[in-house]
Amino acid sequence: MYYISAASTISHQPTFQNVGFSTHIEPLQETSVLLTPDYKGFIDAGLLRRMSKILRMSVACAKDCIGQAGIDQPDAIIVGTGLGCLLDTEKFLNNVLTIEGLLPPTSFIQSTHNTMAGQISLSIGNHGYNMTHTQNSISFENALLDAMLLLEEGERNVLIGAADEAIDFLNVISEKLHLQLQHSLTSGASFFILSKQKNDHALACVKDTQAIGLVNDVTGQIKDFLAGNEMKVQDLDLVLLPGTSHHSDGLPASLASLNLEENKCVDYLRFSGIYPTASAFAMHLAADKMKADKSLKNVLICNTLIQSNLGLTLLQSVEA
Amino acid sequence: MSVRVTGIGIISAIGLTVAENLRSLKESRSGIGPVQYLEEEEGLLVGEVKMSDQTLKNELGIGSKAISRTSLLGLKAAKEAWGENQHSKKIRTGIISSTSVGGMDRTEDFYKTYLAGTNPDYKLLKTHDSGNTTERIAAELGISGYINTLSTACSSGANAIMLGARLLLSGKLDRVLVGGSDALTKFTINGFRSLMIYDDQWCRPFDETRSGLNLGEGAAFLLLENDSSIDISGNKTIGYVNGWANAADAYHQTASSPDGKGATLAITNALEKSGFALSDISYINAHGTGTKNNDLSESVALRNVFGENIPSFSSTKSFTGHTLAAAGAIEAVFSILAIQHDLIFPNLNYKIPIAETGLEPVASLQTEKPVKAVLSNSFGFGGNNSSLVFSNHD
Repeated sequence: MYYISAASTISHQPTFQNVGFSTHIEPLQETSVLLTPDYKGFIDAGLLRRMSKILRMSVACAKDCIGQAGIDQPDAIIVGTGLGCLLDTEKFLNNVLTIEGLLPPTSFIQSTHNTMAGQISLSIGNHGYNMTHTQNSISFENALLDAMLLLEEGERNVLIGAADEAIDFLNVISEKLHLQLQHSLTSGASFFILSKQKNDHALACVKDTQAIGLVNDVTGQIKDFLAGNEMKVQDLDLVLLPGTSHHSDGLPASLASLNLEENKCVDYLRFSGIYPTASAFAMHLAADKMKADKSLKNVLICNTLIQSNLGLTLLQSVEA
Repeated sequence: MSVRVTGIGIISAIGLTVAENLRSLKESRSGIGPVQYLEEEEGLLVGEVKMSDQTLKNELGIGSKAISRTSLLGLKAAKEAWGENQHSKKIRTGIISSTSVGGMDRTEDFYKTYLAGTNPDYKLLKTHDSGNTTERIAAELGISGYINTLSTACSSGANAIMLGARLLLSGKLDRVLVGGSDALTKFTINGFRSLMIYDDQWCRPFDETRSGLNLGEGAAFLLLENDSSIDISGNKTIGYVNGWANAADAYHQTASSPDGKGATLAITNALEKSGFALSDISYINAHGTGTKNNDLSESVALRNVFGENIPSFSSTKSFTGHTLAAAGAIEAVFSILAIQHDLIFPNLNYKIPIAETGLEPVASLQTEKPVKAVLSNSFGFGGNNSSLVFSNHD
């Protein structure tokens, strides 16, 4: 069992430093925008000017988490990102193909996927394990599993999170590829402190997580995952799912044979919008709900955002 | 707490197979030369893999569907490391690759036609994301389940090996292919040029006159197995991963600290994990990119850890170029080859020691000394520093 002793999200919802947000947020409107805090409270003004959206979100959430958990330093920093630093990547790519001669290096420096984890370590002076996972829609679950392994290996507190940023060009691509998305493409970052020891801050526990690539039997995998945790579908009090285009009657078609009760299911994409690591938003949403509602004991986040990938995360309430 | 290596595969500027790479290393033959395949300024020095995308596709039996060069190189090396191994329900098998550019080569193709307004093929962009490059390799090898990609710039390949070892020891997997792949792109070439650390001459790691790196491309994979997997596969152990560590330098987004803090931590912790004494290390395959900054910082770190008794060391980047995310994996394969054949590879182009530290790398091939344990360093952008220890025993 691993304790979530801090959680911080910047998204299109009023999630940042807003405990209990899950009880009153509304589904996103098409015109929604990223709700950002005053970053100056978290990031040095000189650095802030050069930072893209994804870096600002990540560093602010990371610092907020460290403050909430009341620790000096995490033992490790682990980040998951599906598409990385798109704004700087697009900018530098454009420069490479359109400008002759020497280019300004900032957007190249900030284009690599490990910039978030690197900038977090720099901003807090952390010399611990520093890792970046990028496996499209299951980047967050892969990062979370890494954090759990580290806690088993003896670390105490791991800063683990995920971030992705939208650029306008993604809308062009989704239109050209006829993706017919049912929700807007958005940006978001969610960070957590995962701890081995139980503590007063704990919102919920991570019991287990699994990321499965090129999955073929989704329902079989879910049943196996639950069985591995001595649990059945009926034991779940809440299931968070991404409502995507492969929906039929409210639930993903691939999950029909699980016999989930519809009133126990929540479509988290209605709240987060679509980005590759939106399941990290779902984990904060679930933890926030569990903190407020003690009847929620077992919660499954079932990430089927992309049909070939399956991410499963089982949360349990903190025992009194 | 070591992990067995039972297979290796590699493709780089100095060869398309393990055997070809070994031959070039023994003959001190570099693969760095004027650009041939990528559309770049004539005469630019790069470590290209001497095979076109089309030839790679034909050789690997890939159909017409878009695929990045990063995936093609990765698949070539992964297939060699995988060899004749079979899938079995009793062996939980995963793959961890690493890349810094992912499918950027295809994205550049797309973007050129997009900017020119000449009917761009949006489907090419499906190969852009780094995870996709690994998924394609996994699909061709019939691996499903644990499929993951790491991206920690120039330390990525080492981190993939480290994570694979940890997953085996935790009991999550029985067998895992670990490595990295990066293709040359205009994006990275111009990126390192913008930082003014791209050498227009042949790179000179650990030399006083060094003035930057030459980029290379390639891929390498190692097959790691636990005992229960080996009981079924019957594979021979060719080496061990004995130690690993990852530490953040937390000094600067691109530059390494002058006191080599992150590197010192990574080396010290990897050695501690291996349980080996400093004197047990026969050879260090250094990160040694050829930049002023890295080679000085790494030299300071080696001095911090080993004092006056620094083992024989060299950088093999003057053979392959800096292959970014693949470097840690490529150099892991070189480390295993060093152990298998009792070889210490030369640091080509070294003449004058760095004034501040005076360290002298091995300048010619050494064949006399037994090589039992090798330290391999991989340090990257963002302060991501990783070190691995390989040996011939557990």
